[in-house]
Amino acid sequence: MTAFCRAAAAGVLAIVVGLAVWPLQAQQDKSPDAALARLLQAARAALPGACAQPAADRLVRILCSGRIRIGVRDYYPLFSSRDGDDREGYEVDVGQAIGRQLGVAVEFDRVNAATRIPLLAEDRVDLVIATMGHNTQRDGQARFIRPHYYQSETTVVGPRSLAVSGWQDIPGRTVCVTVGNGSNAELVARDARLMLFDEAGVLPERLKDGTCTLAAQDDSFFAESFTDPAFAERYAQKFGFAQVPWGMAVARDGSAQLARALDLISQIFHRDGVFLELGRAHRIGTGFLEQQQAAWQRPECNTDTGAANDVCVLPPFNAELKPTPFAGGVAAFEAWFESWTGIELSLPMLATAPAWAMFKDGVANSLILIVGALLATLGFALLFGRALGSRSAPLRWPVRLLTVTLQSSPIVLTLVIAAAIARALFPFSDAVALGASIAALGLTNGSNAGQAISEAMLTLRTEQALPRGGRDLFARALSRSATQIVAFLVNAAKGTPIASFIGAPELLSALTDITSFSSGRATTYTLLLIYYTAVVMIVVWLCGRLRLLLERRQAMASA
Amino acid sequence: MSLIGRLSSDFLPLFLGGMAVNFEIATIAIAVGLALGLMLALARLAGGVMAGAAASAIGLMRAAPTFVVMFFLLNAVPRDATLFGEPFALSGVMIVALSLVPYSAAYVADSGVEALRQFRGGSLPGALLFLPNVTRAFFVLVMSSSAGAAIGVTEGITIILRQAEQLPALGDRLVLFAIGIVLFGIPLQAGFAVMSFIQRRLGRFVARRTADAA
Repeated sequence: MTAFCRAAAAGVLAIVVGLAVWPLQAQQDKSPDAALARLLQAARAALPGACAQPAADRLVRILCSGRIRIGVRDYYPLFSSRDGDDREGYEVDVGQAIGRQLGVAVEFDRVNAATRIPLLAEDRVDLVIATMGHNTQRDGQARFIRPHYYQSETTVVGPRSLAVSGWQDIPGRTVCVTVGNGSNAELVARDARLMLFDEAGVLPERLKDGTCTLAAQDDSFFAESFTDPAFAERYAQKFGFAQVPWGMAVARDGSAQLARALDLISQIFHRDGVFLELGRAHRIGTGFLEQQQAAWQRPECNTDTGAANDVCVLPPFNAELKPTPFAGGVAAFEAWFESWTGIELSLPMLATAPAWAMFKDGVANSLILIVGALLATLGFALLFGRALGSRSAPLRWPVRLLTVTLQSSPIVLTLVIAAAIARALFPFSDAVALGASIAALGLTNGSNAGQAISEAMLTLRTEQALPRGGRDLFARALSRSATQIVAFLVNAAKGTPIASFIGAPELLSALTDITSFSSGRATTYTLLLIYYTAVVMIVVWLCGRLRLLLERRQAMASA
Repeated sequence: MSLIGRLSSDFLPLFLGGMAVNFEIATIAIAVGLALGLMLALARLAGGVMAGAAASAIGLMRAAPTFVVMFFLLNAVPRDATLFGEPFALSGVMIVALSLVPYSAAYVADSGVEALRQFRGGSLPGALLFLPNVTRAFFVLVMSSSAGAAIGVTEGITIILRQAEQLPALGDRLVLFAIGIVLFGIPLQAGFAVMSFIQRRLGRFVARRTADAA
């Protein structure tokens, strides 16, 4: 009986324990660790037979060869750099940790921004860990591993003493950027003026030598500069924007199992703080990694389906710009032109909707600016001419002083002064920038033309051909100084592109903005030069007609 | 603290160094402009197809906006461009100087045509007006070279604008700009004084020669 009771009790206990343990076992089965173990076990079980199969997944081939080929960058300080055969950096250590997790050796290969995706497609590397932002455009070119192993943002860096703390301080300021950076569009939309550079590597130096007051670039790029105490003492990160998650990537074809394994490894690395520890070891920014560790420790994310859960993973950065309705026709024309002439033509201003809108606004604003500058020049010329030619010393001398001042001020400085005063009076806007430019160009050229009118008045008085003063004298002085007036009108029209220096949204400014986030700089600036030269030639022709009219009047008056 | 106290201690030497760059740019632009402009002037007076081509070239150069030419040179000339097999990377100073060449060459060509006509017509004083005209163009080029501030060339205006960014008050910035105008105005007005001096001396020289010949 006792034995029976003991057996029964043991049986009940076993059932209770079994029932109690069963859910726990089921929970463990759904963990990313168990899912990874099952995946690797299944892949290894297929060896060595699967090694000979041409359609074998890359995971199987990696396990067969006992090595994984990882594409990394050669020079991206703190993340991946190379000194002879030695490589170091956060991404290098992530690659090594993945190799250990898979139980294979790691072979690093050099990639750069242009080759990292093609090398995957050509099966020359199995995986790239190469500072690659995950965006919607690249989603069609490679399979990105999620969760992302890092996240960067564009950071605006400037002198500590400079009072810039957010977007409200950006309108009208010049920001140094690299051509083709996706975040440039955001700066343009916030009314920043861009100074373009081909390579990010020059930005810290341009900050130091004062060429750039502000520079915007990926925070991972500036991370190394801020490890230099002298740089960190003088400069600070003012604010950040345009966060982009960085993704490891594998080829889209033949890598389903490898991608799944890496998804799970990435989950585990976040949850267990592996990424975070590696980040701290290499002194990169770890704010994102800390957030991700907390996220992947949450029960709803710490499962074998966490990488597919939209609540847990970050979406790719949406870098796609809406094409224009005629973008297809533009592309066809570019291709036809290249096949016909052999010259690569690129028309970025016609390809995307934001660029097209900026281009149209730029053309309209440049015409407004030219007409405004011509009218302002003519108006100021008449005012200055009348005042400088006046016999009243209290009127003549202040205007003479103003004329000498304007003549002594380079046009760039006059524009900056006009913009500074306009901004003190009105909130910054495109209209204010255009208005300040028109005033500056009109004053500079109008004062010179006015001086010519007053000199003509003086000569007419000297000749004593006319009674002193009066409208007739002024009209004849206008006719006599027609050549000078026309010269300064043409000069005003020619000078309008310089208004872009103070943020006036004319065509040069618009095209600089467009080329900052697209290609085709050579074509764009060639077309711009043709456009402005043609417009100035039209102004020259119109001014020539005006001069003839004035000279004819003088001839009639003399007769 | 006064404005002078807020200006960085190295402002003046930096500004003078920047102005030296303005003069360097103007010197290059006028030198290239003289070479090109005089050739165009001779072609213009040669007659025939050459004169037509030269007139068209002068017209185009006269119409080309300096600022756009500068951005064209900055963006359309590849960094790895070569000329006669040699690397042809333009520095910022050279980009600004070359952007001023269309203006200087067209001006020299116009003045040169007039001077050559005067010389052929037997008027030496009229021909010698070419010298003060070129001097005037040089000082216009010094002022125009401040466009280099837009592409990061460290010239005089760039130094002033960098300094101004450190001054929060509009009043202080306006005073600084006024200092800039005075500092730019001095060489400009001095240049015009030199030009007047040259004109006067030339006038006297020609008058003496005319009197001697008589």
